[in-house]
Amino acid sequence: MHRVITPSPFFRPLGVVLAVLAAALAGSARAQAEEPSSPPPQPAAPSSLDAPSGSAAEPATVITSYGELNVNRPISSAASTTADLRRFVLGLQHRFSPVMKFVAELEVEHAVSSAGDRGEVEVEQAFIERQLGPTWAARAGLILMPMGLLNEHHEPTVYYGVERNFVETAIVPSTWREGGVEIVGAFENGLTLQGGVSTSFDAQKWDAASTEGQDSPLGSIHQELQLARARDLGAFAALDWRGMPGLLIGGAAFVGGAGQGQSTGSTPVVALWDLHARWTPPRLDLSALYARGTISNTAALNTPRVGNPTLIPAAFDGWYLQAAYQAWTHGELALKPFVRFERFNTGRSYAELGPRLTPAARPTESVVTVGVNFDVSPEVVIKADYQRFDVDSSRSRVDLGLGWSF
Amino acid sequence: MRWDRLRVPVAFTLVGPAALVSPAPVFAADYLTADQAQTLLFPDADRFETATLALDAATSAELQSRLGVAVKRSWELRLARHGDALLGAVAADDVIGKFERITFAVGIGTDGAVRGVEILSYRESHGQEVRLPAWRKQFVGKTAASRIEVGEEISNISGATLSCRHVTLGTRRIVAVVDALRARGALR
Repeated sequence: MHRVITPSPFFRPLGVVLAVLAAALAGSARAQAEEPSSPPPQPAAPSSLDAPSGSAAEPATVITSYGELNVNRPISSAASTTADLRRFVLGLQHRFSPVMKFVAELEVEHAVSSAGDRGEVEVEQAFIERQLGPTWAARAGLILMPMGLLNEHHEPTVYYGVERNFVETAIVPSTWREGGVEIVGAFENGLTLQGGVSTSFDAQKWDAASTEGQDSPLGSIHQELQLARARDLGAFAALDWRGMPGLLIGGAAFVGGAGQGQSTGSTPVVALWDLHARWTPPRLDLSALYARGTISNTAALNTPRVGNPTLIPAAFDGWYLQAAYQAWTHGELALKPFVRFERFNTGRSYAELGPRLTPAARPTESVVTVGVNFDVSPEVVIKADYQRFDVDSSRSRVDLGLGWSF
Repeated sequence: MRWDRLRVPVAFTLVGPAALVSPAPVFAADYLTADQAQTLLFPDADRFETATLALDAATSAELQSRLGVAVKRSWELRLARHGDALLGAVAADDVIGKFERITFAVGIGTDGAVRGVEILSYRESHGQEVRLPAWRKQFVGKTAASRIEVGEEISNISGATLSCRHVTLGTRRIVAVVDALRARGALR
């Protein structure tokens, strides 16, 4: 009697997809790395290292792109499995002069955008940057807010896991951008200072009938410079220190009005801050982040919304710890297993509305993510992970992803 | 008129344009000239001689295979001298950071060990932390036998991954080229 061991039906389709992707994409890289004995007649450098061969001058305009294709397979519901071109981004950078340039990114989410589809077309960044000297630069336009580890560096090749972490999507509404002006100072002691004035949130956008505000309180009232109400502005500052190789310690804060002249009572004010650290000694990548947001004067906003499923929270927060290890490399190929533990609460507390009217605090969700990033090259990554949700276990899932950035 | 009604236009019309049109030195992203860099890398030198040296085709191909990057055959080196004694060589090169060119210089002593790395020009919006002295100091003492790779003997900088990786690759290439020239006695 003998037993034939086969993959479980659950993992078979995902395993096939992963194996085909890995084999197809890694093949050419491996062939390059394993054939040193017969030197190629022409240089075969990574295209990203050197300027175009023979170019006498730096090109003024550069086209860039990043994107990701994700497959999500809930453990408890195979019928809910989705495959999605989560985002496809085209970037444009044009240098007007040695000291001034234009930077923009245009993003399509979910592949198709029309009146009958769920996709979106968004301008993610569009700003002018001018260098003011060796230390300072200024930006004006639609800018990414300097908050946390992910918001300004959100390409799939630079973070672990198929999906972005929950704390920096549910609490910090990545990719968070505002219209405004910003100054950036980079000092030789390792300090980087960013600060500025920007548009802010609009509390009147809160839809108490939907659950969007439970997923991301600030993500449901951000304006993204789409006819943004600009009666109330925000101010922001971020300070990072990278004075020791491999170490980053920093924090950021934002305070902005969210009434926009529409609220009848006191103007609600949004405050959001974070502390973060990342240590990347050889082969290791360790990170930790805590973020907390508050919205003041929500009682007056919530009173007419009582009875709806999602009232505006007074406080929301979350943190995560993450560890990754570069377990194997071969040429440009790199295998990086990782584990991340995060806890977040999008309704930590609510303003007092009176007996039986004040909502109870939401439960704090815990998510453990275990997975691997497989770098096919510095520009292309294949990812696989398992995410276990503690409170809402129906969300536990297996994810596969393909990402690129150049 | 109340300040409430003025603050938005004041903030955007004064702060933004003021920042964008304020005086800035020409080529503000150029931090050092090659002449300044060579003096920083070899402060004991009393003169520098420019020499154009060429790798033979086989050596260039061998380095390319080993390093996994293109290796041109002709290199312009600045030879640092004190009196008649050769102290080492300085090579400047360009790599692409994320989107734009980074110009850097590497000083290498006659023993083949890196004396230092200087960033001459940096124009990216992010990743300028490769200019930090503490990060560049990691290269000092490295030789062609070292593992000059991010994640091995060189630590990454969070938020500047591509700039770190490419400056490191570029430095590794210069170290290998100068080592090959030393081996055949071309540095005199």
